[in-house]
Amino acid sequence: MAEHKKFEAKNGTVLGWFDRRYPLVSTWNEHVGEYYAPKNFNFWYFFGSLALLVLVNQFVTGIWLTMSYKPSAAEAFNSVEYIMRDVEWGWLIRYMHSTGASAFFIVIYLHMMRGLMYGSYKEPRELVWIIGMLLFLVLMAEAFMGYLLPWGQMSYWGAQVIISLFGAIPLVGPDLALWVRGDYIISDATLNRFFALHVIALPLVLLILVFMHIVALHKVGSNNPDGIEIKKVKNNQGLPKDGIPFHPYYSVKDSMGAVFFAIPFALIVFYWPEGGGFFIEPPNFEPANPLKTPEHIAPVWYFTPFYAILRAVPDKFLGVVAMGAAIMFLFAMPWLDRCKVRSIRYRGLSFKLLLAMFVISFIILGYLGTQPATATLTLLAQIFTATYFLFFLILPYTSAREKTKPVPERVR
Amino acid sequence: MKKLFLLASFLVLSILGAAQAAGGPAIELEKAENNLRDQDSLQRGAILFSNYCMACHSVKYMRYNRIARDIGWTDEDAIAKMAYGQNKIVDNVMTRMQPGVGMEVLGTEPPDLSLMARLKGPDYIYTFLRGYHQDENGNWDNIALKGTSMPNVLEGMQRHSAPDDYAQAARDITNFLEYVGEPAKLDRHDLGWKVIAFLLVLLLLSYLLKREYWRDIKH
Repeated sequence: MAEHKKFEAKNGTVLGWFDRRYPLVSTWNEHVGEYYAPKNFNFWYFFGSLALLVLVNQFVTGIWLTMSYKPSAAEAFNSVEYIMRDVEWGWLIRYMHSTGASAFFIVIYLHMMRGLMYGSYKEPRELVWIIGMLLFLVLMAEAFMGYLLPWGQMSYWGAQVIISLFGAIPLVGPDLALWVRGDYIISDATLNRFFALHVIALPLVLLILVFMHIVALHKVGSNNPDGIEIKKVKNNQGLPKDGIPFHPYYSVKDSMGAVFFAIPFALIVFYWPEGGGFFIEPPNFEPANPLKTPEHIAPVWYFTPFYAILRAVPDKFLGVVAMGAAIMFLFAMPWLDRCKVRSIRYRGLSFKLLLAMFVISFIILGYLGTQPATATLTLLAQIFTATYFLFFLILPYTSAREKTKPVPERVR
Repeated sequence: MKKLFLLASFLVLSILGAAQAAGGPAIELEKAENNLRDQDSLQRGAILFSNYCMACHSVKYMRYNRIARDIGWTDEDAIAKMAYGQNKIVDNVMTRMQPGVGMEVLGTEPPDLSLMARLKGPDYIYTFLRGYHQDENGNWDNIALKGTSMPNVLEGMQRHSAPDDYAQAARDITNFLEYVGEPAKLDRHDLGWKVIAFLLVLLLLSYLLKREYWRDIKH
C-alpha cells in the first residue's frame, strides 16, 4: 500500500482558520480519510452507499415535487397530472421519485440480506443493526404515507385497508384509527397530515437515524464477508493490516457502484416507469373515489410479504400482531443467533438451510401478497408464514450447537 | 453464498414476473398495434376524437397547444380541426356536453379520458371501440365492458366503411388516447438511451479510476 500522508490543517491557511473553530479535519479523518474499512468488501457492500444515494435522490426529487404538488383531496390528483404534463421536466422528477421508492426497498432488502449473511448484527454491532431496523420501520411509514399523496384509487384504498388495521386492536382500536385518519374515512384531513409527515417529520427522523447508523458503524468498524475483526491484526503504526482508508479506496469504488446502479435505474425511469404495474399501479391513474372500492386491493410490492402474513392469520387482530412480530423478530437477531462465527462462509449447514428457508419464505409471501386471497393461496401463505417464523424459533437452538469451520486470521 | 445470491436475484425477478399474473381482464383483448410515432395517425385520431368522443368526453389534462406541438400541427390547426374555432390555444380539451346532461340522458357522467389508456391499456380501448354487438332484439352491448351506458358511436363507420378502414379509425383513436395518457412518453424514450449511453461511458471511466487506485491493494 502507498505511504499514507496524514491530512492536516496548517496555520495561516483558510482551512486552518476554520479548523481552529470547527473540527473539520478531525471529523474528515475519523469518518472518511482515516476510517479503515476491510479491504475485502464484495458486491453486497455496495448497498449501504446506494441506500444513501437513493435517499438523496428522494430528498432532491421530493423537494422539487413539493413545489408543484397540492396536498388537498380536491387538487392532489390534478396537481400530479399537472406535474406530468405542464411542469418542465416534471415527468422525469416524478418518475425518479416513484422509481426511487421501489429502488429504496430493493437496495434496503439486499443491504439487510448482507447483514444476515455475514453476521453484521453480531457483537459489537448490535446497535448498528437496531438503528438500521428502526430506519427500515421509518422507511416503511415514509413510503406508506407518500403512497397516499397521488390520491389515486389504489392510494386511497390501500391506506383505507392499512389504517383500518389499527381498528382491530382491542378497546382503543377504533378511536386510534379515527385519530390517525382525523376523520371517519380517509379524507382531506388524512391527506394533509400524511403530507406533513411524509415531507417533514419522517425525512427528519430518517436523516437523524442515518447519521446515528453511520456514527455507530464507525465506532465499531465495518464487518466484512469473512466476518473477521480486522482490528485484531495491526501493523507497527497501529493500523489494521487488512484495512484500507475509506477515502480514496471506497469512495472511488462506491462511485463506480453508484454509476452501475444508475444504469438499471435509468432504464426503469425512461422505459419502464410503471414497473409492470408494481412501481406504479394502474388503478392509481383513476382519482380516489370513496364510493367505489376497486376489485382487488394490493399494497405496493415492498409491503406484500408482511401483507401476506397479515392475511394468513384468520383473526384480524392476531394478523396485525403477526405482521408486527415478523418485523420485531428481526430486531432480536443479535440475540437469537447464538453462534460466535459471523460469516456464512464459515458457518454450519443448519444456518445455511435456515437462512435459505427464510429468504424463500419471504419471496413467496411477497408474491402471495400481490394475489387475491383464494383458499389455496391462503393455505400456502399460512405454510410460508409458519416457515418464516420457524427461522427465528429454531435459530437460537441450532446456532448454539452449530458445527462451524475454522475462521482464518486474515481476510481472504 | 452464491446460492443465496441467486435467491436474492430470484426475489427481484419473481416480484417483477408476478406482474403478468396480477389481475388480468377476463376476455382476450385485441392488439391495438398503434404507433405513437405515427403522426398522421395521431392527427386522424385527434380529429376522430373531436368528432366522435368530445360530445360527451373530455381529455381535461391536455391543452390544445400541447397537442398541436406534439402531433405536428400549428396552434391554428388544432383549434380549427379539434375545436371548430371555438377555443383558445391554451384551453384544456373539455367536453362539449353541459354538466348534468350525461346523468340525465345516459344515467352516468361520461369519464374524462386523459388517463384511460394508462388505467386500462391501449388494447382495452381498441377492443372496447370495436367490441359493440347487437343481440336479436337489437340491444347493444360491449364485450370489453358488459352493460356499458355508452352507445356505439362508431356504428355508422362500422356499417359503411371497409373493415380495414374501420379498424384503422379505432386504432387512430386509441393511438391518440395513448398519447394523451402520457404526452411526454416519446420524450422519455428519446432521452433515455442518451442518458444510459452517458452512464456507460461514466461507468467505464469510474471503473478505470477505481482500478488505478486499487492497484496498491494486495490481496
